This record gives sequence, structure tokens and C-alpha cells, in this order.
Amino acid sequence: MGLFETAAAKALASSGVFLFMTVLLIAAAKRISTCIALFSLQSLVLTAQIIAMSRMHHSGEGFVIAAMVLTVKVIAIPYVLYRIVEELKAPRDVSSSTSSSQSVFIAAGLILLSFFAVRPYAGVLGGDQSMLAASVALVLTGGFLMVSRKKALMQVVGLLVLDNGIFLAALTTTFGMPLIIEIGIVFDLLMGVFLMGLFVFRIRDTFDHLDVSKLRRLRG
Amino acid sequence: MILLLPLFIPLAGAIVVFSCRQPRVVVRAALTTGALELAAIGVTVYSIHFQGVLTAGRYLRADGLTSFFLISLGLISALVLVYSSGYLRHVPEGRFSSLRWFYGLVFLFLFTMVAVYLSANLGMMWIFVEATTLASALLVGFYNTEGAVEAGWKYLIVCTVGIAFALFGTIALYLAAVKGGVNPQSALDWGTLMAAAPGLVGGRELLKLAFVFVAVGYGTKVGFVPMHSWLPDAHAEAPSPISALLSAVLLNCAMYALLRFDAITSRAIGSGFSHTLLLIFGGVSLAVASLLMIVQRDLKRLLAYSSIEHMGIVAIGIGLGGALGLYGALLHTFNHSIAKTFLFFTAGNVRENFGILRMERIRGMALSLPWTGGALILGALAITGMPPFGLFVSELVILTGAFSTAHYFIAVLMLAAISVVFGALLYHFQHMLMGKPDDVPMQPALRRSEFAVMGVCALCLVVLGVHIPSAFAAVLRGAMAVLQP
Repeated sequence: MGLFETAAAKALASSGVFLFMTVLLIAAAKRISTCIALFSLQSLVLTAQIIAMSRMHHSGEGFVIAAMVLTVKVIAIPYVLYRIVEELKAPRDVSSSTSSSQSVFIAAGLILLSFFAVRPYAGVLGGDQSMLAASVALVLTGGFLMVSRKKALMQVVGLLVLDNGIFLAALTTTFGMPLIIEIGIVFDLLMGVFLMGLFVFRIRDTFDHLDVSKLRRLRG
Repeated sequence: MILLLPLFIPLAGAIVVFSCRQPRVVVRAALTTGALELAAIGVTVYSIHFQGVLTAGRYLRADGLTSFFLISLGLISALVLVYSSGYLRHVPEGRFSSLRWFYGLVFLFLFTMVAVYLSANLGMMWIFVEATTLASALLVGFYNTEGAVEAGWKYLIVCTVGIAFALFGTIALYLAAVKGGVNPQSALDWGTLMAAAPGLVGGRELLKLAFVFVAVGYGTKVGFVPMHSWLPDAHAEAPSPISALLSAVLLNCAMYALLRFDAITSRAIGSGFSHTLLLIFGGVSLAVASLLMIVQRDLKRLLAYSSIEHMGIVAIGIGLGGALGLYGALLHTFNHSIAKTFLFFTAGNVRENFGILRMERIRGMALSLPWTGGALILGALAITGMPPFGLFVSELVILTGAFSTAHYFIAVLMLAAISVVFGALLYHFQHMLMGKPDDVPMQPALRRSEFAVMGVCALCLVVLGVHIPSAFAAVLRGAMAVLQP
């Protein structure tokens, strides 16, 4: 094993920590734009992990996927979301139903929970346990963000965090799926974010607010 | 290469429609594309019948099951296009809600659904199931009212999250296959997976995990309770032709994905696990939806809950397994598609005439709109499974399957739920039909195009209730052979 490979493996082993950190920070964040920046940072960590992994496995495909994630998840999607925040000219707080400190506690609890959740599978799946736990934690906190934040845009951010978790799960357990499938998945995500952005504008125009917890005409 | 035709005709149609300006030209282009697509599907089904399996490249594949589902897609989409040509005459020009956008998005929607059926690769299938949500979200929000925007948003978010779970399940299956020694590049190909399935017993836990996630994920799209929350909203707020497409084609599309996964899982670790899960989802959906139908106030919401109920029956059929259960389930998807299309077309007509769909505010339809009222009665009888309509046959087959495999609880549940549904529909519809009409409706009869498409639906329902044509029976057998080799 060359120096690069060893360095990559070491970096990878500790990179889960960065993901946990972004998760906790998103939970604490009070402004939508901060959350978007943190999502971008999280995707950057993910990109670094993909590069480290392709280095370890000597895979050319990995670099293509890394480049794609970098352009779409680190740059394009956060940029689009920023533009939407700017264009909306609406209040920019996340309006959470839990306070900032409560959210951090819940996110920390979810991280602990995910370590317990992956323990039985760690042997079967191979892969690094902290990375697996990180992927489950991302899925759980993504879901938590979606149910606790009232702003429509924050639901999109929650969905993106959740999606990062699933992406990471695929990465750690199987080192990614065939390239064309990965491309399709990322393309779907990009289109999905565009559409959601479109709907955010429509919600603002028809309801004059962006609080999705007040959308309850259709219950029952 | 023949497979490229049904796939790319809708895509070409979408491009043509988007580039047209004149509403009249748009409608004509849409109808032409619909006819071409129907022909292409006909040719594909015909070739599959004689050649067995068709492939095009690594990623496109069609077999008996594809052929069966393509038939209902082709038929329903053609009917919907003809119906829309009359229905959408007075669409207000707006951003994303003009005639051009309507047909363009419908063709994109059709493209994604055909692509789901033709995918040889389960990852690819996931991509296109997600794409169906994206293509149809704007159609759900087409009218741009408060309700429509809310329904569209809910549909987009709930289904995207649900489908994300299906991706997790797909990854787990991929992992199980790779660990079972399948070449990673082809480990998601349906043919490879089916062949390798018996050797995957080692990954039993992983396969179970995969199926749970897939059932929840694609189950969201099928509308299983408790992931059904998007379905009544989307069906009720979308324009009626779109409601018909959602209910009659999209739900089948998601069910098709589940069928594929169920077949692989059953072959690898035995049918016990996946079938029990489907029975539970089906039973819960059936029971909850039938009870919720009693309290509905909106005609299209009522029909949407009826779709959940019927998808529950289909899931029960698949879950019972065996020749009877599967035969009944497949036949039921087809029958349900036609009956529900018929009913949504009728609902569209009710909306056109009364301007509302609140059932308690509509009275005396039997006198003021005899044709629409008659259609409503006919649709109600068909959807509740009365003879001589097709749904009677398929429900009877599934019930026979339940009794013959000693699933008495499921059989009793199904009978009870069907009775409740019958009562609920009778209660709601008699209220709409009887009494003195409050005001004279704008147009007393069905339009010619409406009459034609609803006539075709009714004819299919009666024919399938009396006798299953031998060509159709052959297609059904072909579909079953794919799942139970």
C-alpha cells in the first residue's frame, strides 16, 4: 500500500466525524442560508470521501462520480437554493417547532441511535462502522428536519440531507453502484430540486406565506 | 430495436407539443402522437408474444409482464388523450398551465412510465419511478389553485421521500447480489438477478431488509396505508384526465416495480416473508380505505380512496401467491384501471356541469343529467365488483385463492370491506342522483368524445366480466410465467 492509499484510508476513517458535525450544526442553525451552506459543506465532505475511496480502490469511475457530486451537490443545488432565498424576499429564519438547543439534543440523540442501529449489521456489511452510522444519522436527521421545520425550503434541505445519507450508505457498503445509475440518481435529484423551487414560488404566490405547517386545507 | 419506438414516441411528442403555439394544432399533434404510441405498443406486444423476450442494448428489456402492463398503459393513455381533447377547452393561459404545457407534461409523464416498464435494470427502474413523480407534479398542480398547489407540493415531497427509501432497498439488494458473487456491473439486471436468485440465500437478512425498504418506498407510490397521504389530495386536485392517469396507470407502474422485487425475493429466500408483508399492507389499506370512503364529501376523493382499496386487493392477490392469487391480482390491476378511468371521466363531466364535486351539494342528477347519472351507476356497480363486470371475476378469483390457501381472515376481511364500499358508494350516489335538481345544468348530455371513450371502457368491463378473450388470456399467462418460472 502506497503512501497515498494509507493517507486516504486514514482520512476516510475519521471523516465520519465531519459529517456528524455538519448534522449538529444544521440542527442548530437559525437561518435558511446557513443550512444551505452547511449542506454544501456536507456534500464537500462526501466528495472527499468518494475521492479517498477511489484512490483506495484504484477506480476511475469514482473520480467521475466525485466530479458529478461536486458540481451538482456542492455547487449547483446550493446555488439554486440561495437564488431562491434571495428572490423570495421572505423572512429567512427556519421557523422550527423545536428550539435550537432542543434540535441539537435531538440530533445528537439520533446520532447515538444510529450507532446502535448499525451495530448488528456491521459484521455482515463490512465497511467502516462509523461511516455506516453516519449514513443512518444523515437519513434520520434529514427526516427530523423535514418534520420539525415549517418553511417549505427547509423541507427541501431536509430531503437533501436524507438523500446524502442514502448516497453515503451506497458508497460505504458497495462502493457505489454502476456509473450510469449514479448519474441518473443525481440527475433526478437536480430536477427534483428545480421543481421544488418552482413549487416554493407557487406556494408563496397563492398563499402569501411559506409556512407549510399552515397548509392544511386538504386534511382528512 | 423495436423497444425504442414506444419509449421515444412520447418524448418526441412532448417536444413537438412544446414547440406548437396554436391550441388547435397542439390537440391535433397530441392525438396523432397518442395514436402512434398506441400502434407502437401494439407492435411491441405482438413481437413479445412471438419472440418471448425483447432487448435493446444493456438497459432496455421487455418480457411478458412488461407486455401485460404496456397494454393497459396504451389503452388508458389513448382514452385519456381523446377525453382531454374535449375536456380541456377552456384552460386559462398561465405559466405552466396552458394546453401546451398540459400535453407536453402528459407525454413526458407517459415517457417515464413506459421507461419504468422497459427498464432491464432495477436501478434504472428506480430512476424512472422517481422521474414519474417529477413529470406529474406540475400536472397535479395544474389548476394553480390553493388546493392544487398544496396537493402538488405534498405529492412531490411525500413521494420523493418514499422513493428514497426504495433506493435504499435497491442498494441493499445490490449489496446482497454482489456479496452472493454476482458481477457488480450486472448485479441489478433483472435477468441476471432472477438467474442468480436461488444462490443468494446467504444474504437472507439483507434481502429481507431490502424488501422492507422497497415495499415501503414503492408502496408509498402505490398508495398503501399509512403512506397514502399524498394520494387523495393529488387525485382530487388534478384535472380529471390526470386523475385517471394517476390512478389507472401510475399506481400500476409502482405495483409493477413491487412485483419485480417480490419475484426476486421469493425466488431467493422463499415467498413467506415478502408475501406476508404484502398481505399486511394490502389488508390494512383495504380496511382503512373502505372505512374512510364512508365519510368522504368530495367525489374525486371518494374515487381516490377507492383506488387505495383496490390496490390493497391487488396486494392481497400478490401476497396470496400461487397461480390463483397472481392471476387474480394481474387481472384486477387491468380491470381496476378501466373502471377507475370510466369513473374519473364521469367525475370530470359532473364537475363540468355543476362546477363542484361536493357530493352533498349535488342533487337530482338522475333527472337533470340522465346520461351522466347512468354512467355513475354503471361505474359504481363495476367498481364494487358486481357481475357482469370484469372486477367481479378478478375479485372472485382472489377470494377463491384466499379460501383455497386457508387464509380465512383475509378472505373475510376482503368480503367485509367490499360490502362496506358498496354501502358507502350507494349512500353517496343515491344522494347525488335522487331528489329535485336545484338548477338546470349547462349542457344536458355527454359530448361525443366523452361518450366514445366511456363507451370503450364500459365495453371492456362487460367483455372481461363475461369472457376473457383468448389473446388476452395468452398475454396474462405470459406475464405469470415471468414471475413464477
